[in-house]
Amino acid sequence: MSDGFQPCQFTFDGVSVNANSGQTIAGALHGAGKFILSRSFKYHRPRGLFCVSGRCPNCLCTVDGEPNVRICTRIATPDIQVESQNAWPSIRFDVLAIFDKLHRFMPVGFYYKIMHRPRFLWPMFEKFIRRVAGLGQVDTLHGCDGVYDKLNLFTNVAVIGAGWAGLYAALEAANAGVSVTLVDEQLELGGHLRHDPDLESKSQISTSRVGLIETVRAHPNINVIDSAVAIGCYEENYLAIQRGNRLIRLRADQMIVATGGWERPLIFENNDLPGNFLASGVQRLLHLDGCRFDGSALIVTDNAQGYRVANQLSAAGMKVAAIVDAHEQPSADSDGIDVITGSTVIAARGRRHVKAAVVQSIGGTSQQTISCRWIIQAVGFIPATSLVYQSGCRLEYDPELDQPLVTKYAAGTHSAGAVNGTHDLRVCAFEGQRAGLAAVAAIKLSDSDIRARLAELNSEVERGRTQCFERFSSQYVTQSTAKKKFVCLCEDVTEKDLCDAIDEGYSNIETLKRYSTVCMGPCQGKMCQASSIAICARHNGRPIEQTGTTTARPPEQPVLLGVLAGRAPHFSVTRRTAIHHWHAAAGASFMNAGTWKRPERYMDSVQEYKAVRQQVGLIDVSTLGKIEMRGNDVAEFLEFIYPNRFAKLKVGRVRYGVLCDEAGIILDDGTITRLEDDRFYLTTTSGNAEAIDSWFRWWLASGPHRDVRMTNVTSCYAAMNIAGPRSRDCMLKLCESDLATETMPYLAAAQFKVAGVPAIVLRIGFVGELGYEIHVATQFGLHVWQSLMSAGDEFGIQPFGIEAQRMLRLDKKHILAGVDTDALSNPLEADMPWIVKLDKTDFIGRSSLVRSQNRGLRNRLVGFRIDGDEVPDESSIVIYNRKIAGRITSSRFSPAADATIGLAWVPVEKATNGEIIEIRLNGRTFKAVVQLEPFYDPGAERLKS
Amino acid sequence: MSFQINCPICGLRPVWEFHYGGPLRKRPGPSDDARAWTTYIYDKPNIRGVQTECWFHRSACKLWFIAERDTQVNQVLTTRSFGPQEEANV
Repeated sequence: MSDGFQPCQFTFDGVSVNANSGQTIAGALHGAGKFILSRSFKYHRPRGLFCVSGRCPNCLCTVDGEPNVRICTRIATPDIQVESQNAWPSIRFDVLAIFDKLHRFMPVGFYYKIMHRPRFLWPMFEKFIRRVAGLGQVDTLHGCDGVYDKLNLFTNVAVIGAGWAGLYAALEAANAGVSVTLVDEQLELGGHLRHDPDLESKSQISTSRVGLIETVRAHPNINVIDSAVAIGCYEENYLAIQRGNRLIRLRADQMIVATGGWERPLIFENNDLPGNFLASGVQRLLHLDGCRFDGSALIVTDNAQGYRVANQLSAAGMKVAAIVDAHEQPSADSDGIDVITGSTVIAARGRRHVKAAVVQSIGGTSQQTISCRWIIQAVGFIPATSLVYQSGCRLEYDPELDQPLVTKYAAGTHSAGAVNGTHDLRVCAFEGQRAGLAAVAAIKLSDSDIRARLAELNSEVERGRTQCFERFSSQYVTQSTAKKKFVCLCEDVTEKDLCDAIDEGYSNIETLKRYSTVCMGPCQGKMCQASSIAICARHNGRPIEQTGTTTARPPEQPVLLGVLAGRAPHFSVTRRTAIHHWHAAAGASFMNAGTWKRPERYMDSVQEYKAVRQQVGLIDVSTLGKIEMRGNDVAEFLEFIYPNRFAKLKVGRVRYGVLCDEAGIILDDGTITRLEDDRFYLTTTSGNAEAIDSWFRWWLASGPHRDVRMTNVTSCYAAMNIAGPRSRDCMLKLCESDLATETMPYLAAAQFKVAGVPAIVLRIGFVGELGYEIHVATQFGLHVWQSLMSAGDEFGIQPFGIEAQRMLRLDKKHILAGVDTDALSNPLEADMPWIVKLDKTDFIGRSSLVRSQNRGLRNRLVGFRIDGDEVPDESSIVIYNRKIAGRITSSRFSPAADATIGLAWVPVEKATNGEIIEIRLNGRTFKAVVQLEPFYDPGAERLKS
Repeated sequence: MSFQINCPICGLRPVWEFHYGGPLRKRPGPSDDARAWTTYIYDKPNIRGVQTECWFHRSACKLWFIAERDTQVNQVLTTRSFGPQEEANV
């Protein structure tokens, strides 16, 4: 029992229960005589504690709103509310237990067979299935206030499992001077020795468990992470480890899997009745939780473990009716307890709890019924091989050991102990040491000392394995024709269900799993994988080694979604422009644009819109991607990258460009300015800046060796766009240059001082008015912004946000790449044929665009208007010939057009002025008129004024 | 995916610092026929085994480089940058 816990009280289904200090919830309930803890998934049969190690589904309860908690591993704390699941009105009297009587109407896969016919009944079935299916109720608010975080760790050697082998592996590696991280799922280290004290006293080992653990815990090279489950192993020994609400990501050079295993259940009639236990479960309750087993116990076994449990029970003053041993000779000394050899249990009798066991001789017919309250199974071991499978090791079934064994290790992976079928403590220690040293040898170049010691350990392991080999009898299912022999406790799959499924043709283990749902419940095959494979092999008449196995995937144990989602604030970057705080002070509401925060609006976007159309407005465009290219080959490079021409772009001129991929699909758009003969300044859209940066770099790296030096200057410049009929007046107050249209016409660029600060000024007009885009060094951004705002005061200047900008640009039918275009849009169909110069010899996307041109366009992006002020949602569908023929990409009410306007993809035959298109939204139809020219200033007089 | 890539500049780093650029192939020329272009654009190989690929170290040095990866075990075997000796793919 552990420190730090006090005796306490909690409630189970509203009834108060006492727990001793450090006792698990399950232990306390067992002590209080509550043996039915849940109802089974399909037949609602009563279920009680079985494995007591956090693996089987029998003790799943809701604890303080958290569903599906395995209460056998959760320590009881004061005032928690534990509630049973899957039962109504109560766990003792569950109405749906009627399913248990109806089981012959619910054969394997019955819902595939009966519920889809007749079809009109399906909605009713679905409603019913949804009500009865699933385990536990999700409380959507549960855990919301928890802190879920992530921890990244690095280590030379990760050892998973702190049983005898794991402890020795960690110590050996640490003593050789490498860093070791030892991960164990229990509160205390020691593995099976924790609950099986005889294992230690009856083995020939020189170190005590307590001494070994103290040495390991105190070792400066060993980091011990207890109460933590390694839920997955990914490439190159990257381990996901859950510890409470924290996800630990551990990168290890070498990994030693010493995960041990758990006992194998024996399958007989009513093997799921409360009172059936795995032997180690009994030991845990006995030794760790201080529980009693009143009434007599019957032990069914084929190895020394069963005898140890029997002796421990009687030493603790409890009654053992008999040991039923499958072997003809007793497997160990029974110490005076009755032994029935050559026999096994074929059935349990009782309604809510075991009352008797039916014992039958193996291969014979002689039966006897022995009255008992507990049937304790100790018939062998299942190795916890998930992590070795996940790490990429190859395993093969070994008929001698009756378990899969690693035949080829993945790089950097080792295993030791029960995973290898080794159960003797002395040999486990040697195996652990060997794995520890092998891991060290793989990290450091192994010297002759290490090689000699490895050889020595190798021979010790080999000798030990032959000497201490323990043969189990390979019992999985005892022979009887009974129907209720449960292979899978999670999903209520019986032996008969599996045989029926195989007879129906699902004879491959993987299809058998999917059809019967065996191995697919909360335990993920921990209780049923080995036995389902054995049954599949037997029923197919093939050996187990030819039957294969189902695939082990992460997570190895159930994991809270919060732990996976977690919070990782340092991974989600938030970028603000240099003018951000001004926007905030002006009352802007922000929206996310990629990683940036951008003002969506300050007050009313329609007012902002009107200010730009009538006076002057100012928008922060610092988020634009900005790239500078210098060199003698820049013009030629741009000529290749873009579909339009750049070779003859004059110094001091700006050109709009669309970037396409090789399939001719629009990636992005932006402006290209020639500042000097060998110096170009490019902008990209805000969200695509990173992708375009990488795109340019790819063509520079893989192409011919051009004289182009590119620099991403996105964060070097703050940028703002002043637009509106009075924008020139504002600018003239802040700069000495001549801004007359004759000297600085539309699409001109110049470098001069604005508000005393050097600037790049581009005369462009996304919003369709006279306007200037001003790029200044980031640190001057706020200064220039404020200067423009004061200069514009007398002209009624207004800052405007994204929403107003979107309305303004829609008037002009200027597209937003990625909003109005998608993964099928090329510039010819996006109504920009003028931008594609197919007579150039080569550019990215040319071959595809040539083919698109020759084939004829199929769709076109057109403008439309709807009279009135109803605005259909963006992405509403366009109907043509009663079929979906396109969709709306943008729609707004336009004050300038005094109508609803938008952009839509329509079939090319509808893409002419005046065509009527039908737009469908929520069952309503809007009639819209196609318009090819812009809705505002179609002659661009205002833009060029 | 949790494998690591040895960036020619930055050294061994986890895969999430990188951006995958697909298998390394030679781009067809303007005079190549439609079939060559269609194969290049739409029929990208996905070899089971060792594949020569392009990777971009987006979180750090911004280098495009060539890597050989065993796609069966997701292990990067070698990496090299596009040096002057590398034949242009365009």
